[in-house]
Amino acid sequence: MHKYDRLKKVQLYIVLACIAVVAVFPFFYILMASFRTNMEIFEYALPFTWKTLIPQEWTFHNYTAIFQEFNYGLALKNTLIVVAVLVPFVLTISALGGFVFAFFDFKGKRVLFSLCLISFMIPTDAIALPLYDLVSDMKLVNTYWGMIFPSAASGLAMFLFTQFFKEIPKSLLEAARIDGANWLQIFGRIVLPLSVPVTITAGLMVFVNEWNNFFWPLLAARKEEIRTLQVALSYFSDENEVFFSYIFAGAAISAIVPVLLFLPLQKYFVQGISSSGVKG
Amino acid sequence: MAMKSNSKKLNGSSALRRMAPYLMLVPALVVIFIFKLFPMVSVIGESFMRDGEFTFRTYEILFGDRTFWQALWTTLKMNLVMIPLQIVLSFILALLVNNVIKGIGIFRSIYYLPVTMAISVAAITWDLMANYNSGVFNSIISFLGFEKQGLFTDAGQALWFIVIMATWKGCGMWMMYILAGLKGVDTSIYESAKLDGAGYFRTLFSITLPLIKRTMLFVVVANTSANMLLFAPMKLITEGGPQNSTNVLMYEIYKSAFRNGNASRAGAITSILLLIVLAVVVIQFRMLNEKDND
Repeated sequence: MHKYDRLKKVQLYIVLACIAVVAVFPFFYILMASFRTNMEIFEYALPFTWKTLIPQEWTFHNYTAIFQEFNYGLALKNTLIVVAVLVPFVLTISALGGFVFAFFDFKGKRVLFSLCLISFMIPTDAIALPLYDLVSDMKLVNTYWGMIFPSAASGLAMFLFTQFFKEIPKSLLEAARIDGANWLQIFGRIVLPLSVPVTITAGLMVFVNEWNNFFWPLLAARKEEIRTLQVALSYFSDENEVFFSYIFAGAAISAIVPVLLFLPLQKYFVQGISSSGVKG
Repeated sequence: MAMKSNSKKLNGSSALRRMAPYLMLVPALVVIFIFKLFPMVSVIGESFMRDGEFTFRTYEILFGDRTFWQALWTTLKMNLVMIPLQIVLSFILALLVNNVIKGIGIFRSIYYLPVTMAISVAAITWDLMANYNSGVFNSIISFLGFEKQGLFTDAGQALWFIVIMATWKGCGMWMMYILAGLKGVDTSIYESAKLDGAGYFRTLFSITLPLIKRTMLFVVVANTSANMLLFAPMKLITEGGPQNSTNVLMYEIYKSAFRNGNASRAGAITSILLLIVLAVVVIQFRMLNEKDND
């Protein structure tokens, strides 16, 4: 499997490159369009030449406009706050829960575990109406926690932790028990240090899910002071024709944050999934 | 397997000590019960309530409603194409990036890029790029010598263009899972298959696929639940149109709940949709597990 002749290698690179173009093209276009005026985007649409893609007169105006006129900086801050609280919060409760599911037997375990599985198959969007009533009763509408709690209510991260912990030899834990360590110490000193890849994987997944969250924040956090990037962006599009280039600038910013986060963590990601028992 | 606290050094109230581990499970369960399972149960409950009374009336009305059946058909039609398409493409992508050649990590990252774009951002920007007059997709289409296309604004194309967009955005994620599965396969098994004279496709279908069955099951199930409930493009781009061609059940729920304030109808459709997803997932489990017994 690991010997390639030259011709095969070239063919492989060509195929890989073609797919890469398809994957990257929208990113490239969005980034380029974010540096041009609306006029330019329309003017060079047809016929298709390099002018369709590359700005003729580079402008930074779209970026200054969305930050100054549309308060996009605040939306960016709000998004980062939600993510910065959500991810550690979910990781903590999920790792603790996964630890119990993996190492203990108790009545009703199967049922509870199944309910957790169901919880990640049902997106918040599908239960938005009663959830809104609930969150509103708790006085959490237009607050960070109103966005964080519903997103945290997914068993996905716990599922991954459970699968991963199951592979840790129980004898390791027994030994620590005999040495007099309590469960929290075992969790903190033995289990966690082994769990770096799965923690990164789960963290990235929670992050990506939250990044895709649109409808719930739109419902529960529509006030301008609390709006997230995704919601703020949809407000540019109300008057479609006018804000074309602003939308591209806003989209470029919202696309860059996860890319910066993901690229350095890429190799852990595959490792983490491999070791979490979702493997074959 | 329960672990007995058999240490003599431990003292104090042993009941509390025995309880302690289970307390670690509580925070996660509380959040899931309050913010996911409770609303889910109340959605189902809502569908049986009208004017404070228990009744099946909502379902009777729903089953006589053509819009509902159309939305159901649109949902099924879209997913019958989208789910197999995404699984097959993701599998091919995973095989490609599983090659051990220079720079493969870069391609892997590039293919994952679309996953990191928020679905709302993808929907809004694809809508602009698909614009009839100024969108870049139509620039390319006419450059290739075809007529300009309506894309999201054409009743015959909108649903399928959403499928293309969702596939562009989704495959990188499933590719990563499958890749992780492929990495877990012991490579020596390929060598022996080769020695036995098995060809590439023979090896693929009778060795590789069965070995990564657990991964594939997870991918198929997660993909199904994600796609059956796809909603953002319909909300942001097409609003269920043109001519109701993209009016899937999720969008019908949204309209009932938030446009018409009809909580029982929204509840009934949600319950049916969840039931369908659950049924499909159970069938998938059965099918993939059966292959286990071969």
